[in-house]
Order: sequence, then C-alpha cells, then structure tokens
Amino acid sequence: MQPQLNVLEVTGLNVYYGSFQAVKNISFTLRPGEIFGLLGPNGAGKTSTLSAIEGLLTPRSGTIVVAGFNMQEKPRHARAALGVQLQFTSFQPELKVGEIIQLYAGIYGVAMPPDKLAGVLQSIKLEEAAEKKFGQLSGGQQQRVSLAIATLHNPSLVLLDEPTSGLDPQSRRQLWERMEILREKGHTIILTTHSMEEAESVCDRIAIIDHGAIVVIDTPSSLIETHRDNPAVIRASRRGRITLEDVFIGLTGETIRS
Amino acid sequence: MEVHIPKTSAVFAALLHADLTTQWRNRRSFVLVLMVPVIILISWKGVVDKLGGAFALSSCITIGLVAIGLMGYSNSIARDRDKGIFQRLRVAPVPSWSIMASRLTVQLMMILLLTILVFLAGFYIDHISLSTSGYFITFFTAIVGGAVYLGLGQLIVGLIQNPETVNSTSRLIYFLFIMVGMFGEFGILGEQVKLMSMWSPYGTVKHIIAAGMEPEKWDRQTTIALLATIGYAAVFSFLGIKKFKWNNK
Repeated sequence: MQPQLNVLEVTGLNVYYGSFQAVKNISFTLRPGEIFGLLGPNGAGKTSTLSAIEGLLTPRSGTIVVAGFNMQEKPRHARAALGVQLQFTSFQPELKVGEIIQLYAGIYGVAMPPDKLAGVLQSIKLEEAAEKKFGQLSGGQQQRVSLAIATLHNPSLVLLDEPTSGLDPQSRRQLWERMEILREKGHTIILTTHSMEEAESVCDRIAIIDHGAIVVIDTPSSLIETHRDNPAVIRASRRGRITLEDVFIGLTGETIRS
Repeated sequence: MEVHIPKTSAVFAALLHADLTTQWRNRRSFVLVLMVPVIILISWKGVVDKLGGAFALSSCITIGLVAIGLMGYSNSIARDRDKGIFQRLRVAPVPSWSIMASRLTVQLMMILLLTILVFLAGFYIDHISLSTSGYFITFFTAIVGGAVYLGLGQLIVGLIQNPETVNSTSRLIYFLFIMVGMFGEFGILGEQVKLMSMWSPYGTVKHIIAAGMEPEKWDRQTTIALLATIGYAAVFSFLGIKKFKWNNK
C-alpha cells in the first residue's frame, strides 16, 4: 500500500519584508483530511505564512508544495489545488452574488449552469441571494458565500484566514459544521484563528507560531497534557483547570502585541 | 482530488464579463466621462468654423482620453486594490497579466465608444465629416493616445497607494493637462509654454489625432509626435507596472 501524499509540505520557509524577517525557517506537513490550526498572537507571522502558501508573496527561501506541485515552479497548478478564504474577502461591489459565483467558476474552469448555481446557493442556505449584491449580505452570509467560492473547484487544500472573526455564535457554529463536512469529503483545511475554543473544537493538530517561528505542533489535547506542569502555563491559568488558551499564553507570553 | 488548470482564454472571458458588468453598473460615471467631450463639442460650434473640424474633434477626443485614463481607470484600480479584490483573484489560478488585460480591454472599448460618440456629435451637430481613411486612422491614433493616459493612470496607482489620494491626484493632473494644454496651445501662457504644451502628452496626443483625421496633412512633425506619444506611453506604463503593488497593506 502506497503512503498517502501530503497535501501540503512547507520546508524551511523564510519570509522577509525588507530587512524584517516575518517567518523564520518554518516547516510542517499536512495530511489528507486534516484540519490544521495556525495560532499565534498578532504579528506572529500567521498571515505571512498563509500568504506564502497562497503564492501572494515570494519567500526568500524554502519550498512550498501543494498537492505535489511546487508553488514556485508550478504556481498555477498549486493554486488550482487551493481554495482560499482571505481574512478580508472582497468582491466587486457592483456584482451580484450569482455573478460572483459564476466569475469564480469561470476562473477555476468549473461549469456553472443555472441549476448548478441554484444548488450551490441552496447548499449554503442562500437561495434568495443570487440577485443580491455581496455587500447587502450579513457577515455570516458573506462568509458562507466566500467558503462556497473557495470550494467550488473541489480543492485538495482549503485555507481559511480567521474565517469566524466577527461572527455571532450561531454563524460560527454553522461554519464549524461546514468545515467538518469539508473534512468528511476529503478536503484538508488550514485555518488561522484567535479563538482557542475554535481551535480546540475543530482542529486535529495545532501549530503555535510566535515571532515568526513555530513554537510547538501537536494535537490540542496533547498540547494541554504536555504543558500542564509548565509554570508559565499554570500562571496563565485562571479557572483552576488548564485550557488551550492557558497553554497558548504560557508559550507566547502575556505581553500585548501590536 | 484532481487538479484542473482552466484555459487562459476561459479565465480571461470570465474576468472580462465581470469587468464589463461592473463598468455597466457604474454607467452613471462613465456616461459623464463620455458626455463631457460631447458637450464641449456642442458648445464649440463657433470654434469649428474658425479653427476647423479636426481641431475641435481632436481636442474633444483628447479631453475624453485624459478622463478615461486618469479619472476612470486609475480610480477603479485604486479602489479594487484597497478592497482586496485583486488579492482574491490572485490566489486563484489566474495569470496576473490577465487581470490587468481584462481591465484594459474595457478601457479600450471606452476609447472606441468615446471616439464614435465624438464623431457622431461632430457629424450631426457640427456637420464635420472625414474621409474613410481619416476615420480609421483616428481610431488608431485615439488608441495610441489613450495608451498614454492609461499608462499615466497606471503610474499614479503605482506611486500612490491610498485610493482617496489617487482620486485627488488624478483630478488635479486632469485639470492641469486640460488647462495648460489648451491655454498653452493658444499661446495665452507665452511662447515657452506653447512649445512645452505642444510636446507634452496632451499636445502630442492631440496632434496625432488631428493629423489622423486629415491623413493628407500627415508630415514629419506628426511622425515625431507619434513617436513621442508611443514613448510617453511606454515610459509611463513601464514605470507604472514596475512600481505597482497588488495590495496596499
């Protein structure tokens, strides 16, 4: 039996902005069907890492291989294997939701006849939204549309950059369910979040990143178990029991970042 | 999961369809851009008799081209960059050049539409008619002239990140070009300014458009103006593309 191909392989990634090093020698791999969380304080290097994986910025060194395609050597192939929901997703405000979905279907080479479009909208419970403009939707509805667009072409890897920020608890739960459904369909997901509850609830593995470097990678339960006796983690604990947030604060410090 | 690379032509068609729809939904602003030269032409009825049809039509087309490049193109690019629309497109398997090529195709259509409208207004209101070759050469010179202002618009969004600053800068340059170009051309601002105006992007574009309308009057100076226009377009576009950033974060 052949071992399954890693969906994402990041090796020795270094990203600079001028002389400032935002990402320092990061390496990790993602297995098929895995939900992987990238956690870190503001400015830790999460979005820079994601941007490099998305091909939006060129790393100074290191390799990124998506579904077997090297992002530097075959960027279009690598991007075709990616579904992306950016932190601040925006579409042309003049276009209606149906038109935006058709635009991206065209871009990804997916046929989108009217009945299929209706099916996509139905799957995100927005049957009536085809004629609405994106800006007329609520935050939760916009996220659903963005996620639907990110997965139109059935990508191997889905990148979600803080997908639940600003959402109410209902919308957040709904998005978690959608992530689970995507995982069941075989998609691999990498998400960044500031919500430890979210990371603990949906992620199979977590990488905590700080000052551009990965501090630790493990499952949420193992992280808690391993660092239970760490004095910094105990100091961070507020409720008498160790949570993922305590581990996070213990490992990254209590100082507020920019 | 299979990786499917869409054909570049299909990607371009999808982008162009979306960009044309966006332009259509913004029709109030583009109608204004197109109407200003037509209104000027109508109000210049007396000028046509004194200075000739080619002068009036070339001035109006040049004013329209400046508006398309500086007011339309640069502002839409600055807005979409600010909203992250380009970044969303760039994480898809889209060649970056096709995003801009689609935008420029829409502007090219605007240039052709502007030229047709000015021709129609000139014909029906001022009874200006050109030879068949005059019409065709003017379409060509209008596109070359339009490239100068699209290049200048590209340079503005390359140098300036903030969309509001892009808006105010492009308006300032628009009025500067029109005022200095027109008054300078008449010699009102002195001989030196007249000479500068003649070889400015405004002057050379107007010169080749006017000469295109009367091909029999195309001379060596017009050819030099055409080369200067191409040079302006090349320099502005080169610098604009070199300095351009897809996001302003």
